[in-house]
Amino acid sequence: MIKFIEKLIRSAINETVDKSISRAIRDQYTENLFEMVPATSKVGPTNLMEIAMRANQGTPISRPLGSPIHFSPWEKILFNPCHLFRFPTPENVGIRTSITIGHRARKPLTISIPIMIAAMSFGGALSKKTKIALAKGATAVGTATNSGEAGLLEEERDSAHLFIGQYNRGGWMNTPDKYKQLDAIEIQLGQGAQGSAPQRTTAKNIGAEFRDVFGLHKGEEALIRSRLPGVNSKEDFIRLVRRLREETGVPVGLKIAATHHLEKELEIAVEAEVDFVTLDGAEGGTHGGSPTLQDDVGLPTLFAITRATEFFTRKGVIRDINLIATGGLVTPGQMLKAIALGADGVYIGTAALMALVSEQMVKAVPFEPPTSLVVYTGKMTDQLDIDQASLNLVRYLNACVQEMEQVAITLGKTALTDITKSDLCTIDPFLAKATGLQLGYVASENQNRFFEETEPLLYNDGTFSESQRGDQERLH
Amino acid sequence: MGNFQDLKNTLSYIHSELNRIETMAGTLSTVERDHFNKLTNFDHRELMDIAVEEQSASRQLGTIKHMCLAMAQKIEGIKNAIDRGELEESTQHDQVH
Repeated sequence: MIKFIEKLIRSAINETVDKSISRAIRDQYTENLFEMVPATSKVGPTNLMEIAMRANQGTPISRPLGSPIHFSPWEKILFNPCHLFRFPTPENVGIRTSITIGHRARKPLTISIPIMIAAMSFGGALSKKTKIALAKGATAVGTATNSGEAGLLEEERDSAHLFIGQYNRGGWMNTPDKYKQLDAIEIQLGQGAQGSAPQRTTAKNIGAEFRDVFGLHKGEEALIRSRLPGVNSKEDFIRLVRRLREETGVPVGLKIAATHHLEKELEIAVEAEVDFVTLDGAEGGTHGGSPTLQDDVGLPTLFAITRATEFFTRKGVIRDINLIATGGLVTPGQMLKAIALGADGVYIGTAALMALVSEQMVKAVPFEPPTSLVVYTGKMTDQLDIDQASLNLVRYLNACVQEMEQVAITLGKTALTDITKSDLCTIDPFLAKATGLQLGYVASENQNRFFEETEPLLYNDGTFSESQRGDQERLH
Repeated sequence: MGNFQDLKNTLSYIHSELNRIETMAGTLSTVERDHFNKLTNFDHRELMDIAVEEQSASRQLGTIKHMCLAMAQKIEGIKNAIDRGELEESTQHDQVH
C-alpha cells in the first residue's frame, strides 16, 4: 500500500515538474512565471518585499534590527599570530579582560569584559522581561547594560549591577532623581540606524507600564526629538556635560551616529571633556526604523573607530576619553578587531538579543518571528523565560570573550587592551592606506616600495596619480 | 599636624589591605580559572554551566585585582601629597578664605 502511494506521489511530482519546465521554456517571457527570478535578482528579495510593504502602508516602513548591508570590511583584516620572533602567551597566564571607563571621573566605571549590552529601550524597543534578562546576564559576567532612550525602569536598574543610562532626546531620563541612579551617563544625540532623525511611538503601542516609566499621559505619544531639549548650541552641550559630571561624579559620555563630519563633532566632545564617546556605525541596529535611514545614512563602524582613534591621539586625549564602538559587531573577531583598532570596549545589541532568544526561538517559529518574544509590541513576550534567556546570554558572552582570549594568546599578549594595530594586517591596499594597517601582501620592510610601484596601477581608471600628474604638468 | 599623621596611618592601613585584597583576588582568579579547565573536561551540561560561572568569576576577580591596584596607586599619591605638605597647605588656604 505504502509503495503504491509512494509511486503515485513520484508520478505526480514528475508530471508537475515536467509541465512546469516545459511551460517555463515555451511561454513568452513576459507571460512567464520565471520572470520573477530575474526580477527578484534585479532588486533583491529584501527590496522587493519592502517595495510591496511601502506600497501597502503608504508610510515609512519599520525594518527591525538595522541594515543588512555589510559596510565595514572586517573580513579584510587579520590578526598576526607569533611563534618564535615573539613567543605566544603561556596557557597558564590569565588574559586581562577588564576595562575602566572614565579615568577622569570621580567614580570611574570598571567592567570585567570589554563587551557591553547596547542601548535598547524598554517600551520603545524591548519588553520588560527582555530588559531584565539582559541586565541579569550582563551582571553575571560583570559588565554593564544600557537603558536606551527610555525612562528609568526600576526592575532593570535593580537587576543591573552596572547600569549606563541615556540622557535622551525624549527627556525621559533627564531629571536628577533618575540620572543620579546611574553608573554612567550617555548623552544620546543620535544612533547608527537612525542618525539624529526624530522617532515616535504612537499612543496605541504604549501600555500602562510604558506610560509610568516614561511619565506619559494616557493617549500621549512618545516622541524622540531630533535635538536634545535645551541643547541648541555647542556651549549648551558643554554646560550640560559639566553640570552632569559635577552633580553625579560618574563618567559622562556622548553617543552619536558615526558620520563623515566625525572630527568636527569630536572636537566639541573634547572641548566638553566628556569621559567617553560612543560611536554607532551605519550598521547599527534598532528595534525598527526606516530602511533609508538604516542603509543610506552614516559612516561604517570600522572607519569611525580608526578616524576617532587618530583624532584623539592627535589631540592628546587618547588616555582621557574612552572610545566605545558599536554597530554591526556580530562576531568576537569583529569585536576584537574594533578593540585592536582603538576602541576601549564595544556594545552589542543584535547579537545579544539573538543569543538571548536562541534556545527559546522554537516557541515562536515557524508561525511568528523570534523577535515576537522580545520586542515590546511582540505577541509572545510573556512566554520569554528570563532565567533561561539570561543564562544563554551569559554562555554567549563567555564564549565570545574566551575566543578573544585565544587570539590574545596567539598574539603573545596578556590583556585584550594590549592588542593594537601592530597585531593586525589587511589584505586590501586601500584599507591599508586609509587605516594605517600594514598590507599583508608584502613584507613589513617593503610596504612603501609596494605602494610606490603600484601607484600607476591604482590610478589606471583614467585619473592621474601624483607622479603622473607631475609628468603631465612637465610636458605642458 | 597630628590629624595628618592619623590620616597617613589610616591610608597606610588601607593601602596594605588593598594590597592584600589584590593578592587574594589574583590567587582566587587563578584558582577559578583552573576550576574552569577541570570542569570542562566533563561532558555534562550542568557542569559546563558551572564552568562558565567559574570563568566569569575568574575574570571578575581579575577586575577586582586591577581596581585594587588603581586604588592603591591613588592612595600612594595622597600619602606622597601629605609628605610634601600639599594637603596641609590647601587646608590652611581654605581656612584663610
